[in-house]
Amino acid sequence: MSLRRHLLEAATLVLAAILCALVANALASRERKLALVGSYPNALKVPENGAVRQEAPLEATPAAAAPGKLPFEEKRPGPATASAPKASAPSQGSEAKTSSSSPADLLRRFPPHDKPYVEISGDDAAWLIARGVLTLDARRTKVYEEGHIALARSFPVWESDIDARVTAFVGEGRDGAIPVVLYCSGGDCEDSHLLAQKLFGAGFNNLLVYRDGWPDWVKRGGSSATGPES
Amino acid sequence: MTPKEALASPWLTVRVQIALGLFFVAAALPKLVDPPSFAHMIYNYRLVPGALVNLMALVMPWLELLAGLALILGIWTRTSAGLVGALLLVFLVAISLNLARDNAIDCGCFDVASANRTVDERLADMRLDILRDLGMLLMVAQILWAKGRGLDAAKRPLRS
Repeated sequence: MSLRRHLLEAATLVLAAILCALVANALASRERKLALVGSYPNALKVPENGAVRQEAPLEATPAAAAPGKLPFEEKRPGPATASAPKASAPSQGSEAKTSSSSPADLLRRFPPHDKPYVEISGDDAAWLIARGVLTLDARRTKVYEEGHIALARSFPVWESDIDARVTAFVGEGRDGAIPVVLYCSGGDCEDSHLLAQKLFGAGFNNLLVYRDGWPDWVKRGGSSATGPES
Repeated sequence: MTPKEALASPWLTVRVQIALGLFFVAAALPKLVDPPSFAHMIYNYRLVPGALVNLMALVMPWLELLAGLALILGIWTRTSAGLVGALLLVFLVAISLNLARDNAIDCGCFDVASANRTVDERLADMRLDILRDLGMLLMVAQILWAKGRGLDAAKRPLRS
């Protein structure tokens, strides 16, 4: 009898917790809301001391290259200083300025691959970003607004609307073979890897994860911006 | 008063209840404020299927809060102590498994902001987390034992 009473009390507490959680989540702001059902590939896969990481096979492989017009170049907004509310000055380095590079050059150096993502170094990321390659920031919105790579788009992988953002991104009709750079906070941050897995599932097969991410970009003095995505 | 009686005294039990309840309320608050960060912490444990990560991140802090408040207020004390004990066992198993497989994680117990610590620092903290959880499990045991003794005494027929 006593056990039954305790079980009933425990069930009441658990039900109350579920109810409170659902109500609180429904009332939460976008940044604090969670989708009830998560979609995180590899949620049970233990990283083997950084083994999630793969080095990029970045040798030129002309056979894999598929020259063509880069669709994103037309869709990208203007210079960093114009699009970002508080863009910082570009770095002194030559990589800070957008260099001209043909799509064939990009694809020769970064051909499409059959992995969810390939990790790239800061030098490679700087090379790509300087050539106007689309860059996605996988960190939380608040962190993005505090500072991000100039022209990077915000894809906060732990916020509730990430799947909607990915769907909208896919709907933009981009060529999945064109390189896309993804980054988060470097170190053991895996947000960009998670975002890459989502995009890979949506048909993108040239996703390049900037391994050392934002801290490395700041160290390099790369072009950055603050404030919300324009 | 024998040591056994001292250990089961209402004076001690109430204080243990309040301390344990406060621990759990304090642990719940940062998770309630930022569920996505807590979901990230749960994901890092690599023990929960992807589909359940968010649901767990939403419900667990509320369970901690309600059980903690019940302990502080003395409502359904044995049940809430039992729930707290069950949660502590889950935490202990989760941290121990990750320690055994060298997966250095931030506990996410009282803070959901991931600190930039080295693997060794994280592993050392995980050992401390296990000790802390074992200590709290002892507090749960004290409450359950003292309350059980109290009930037994109440059920015992009065001798003339």
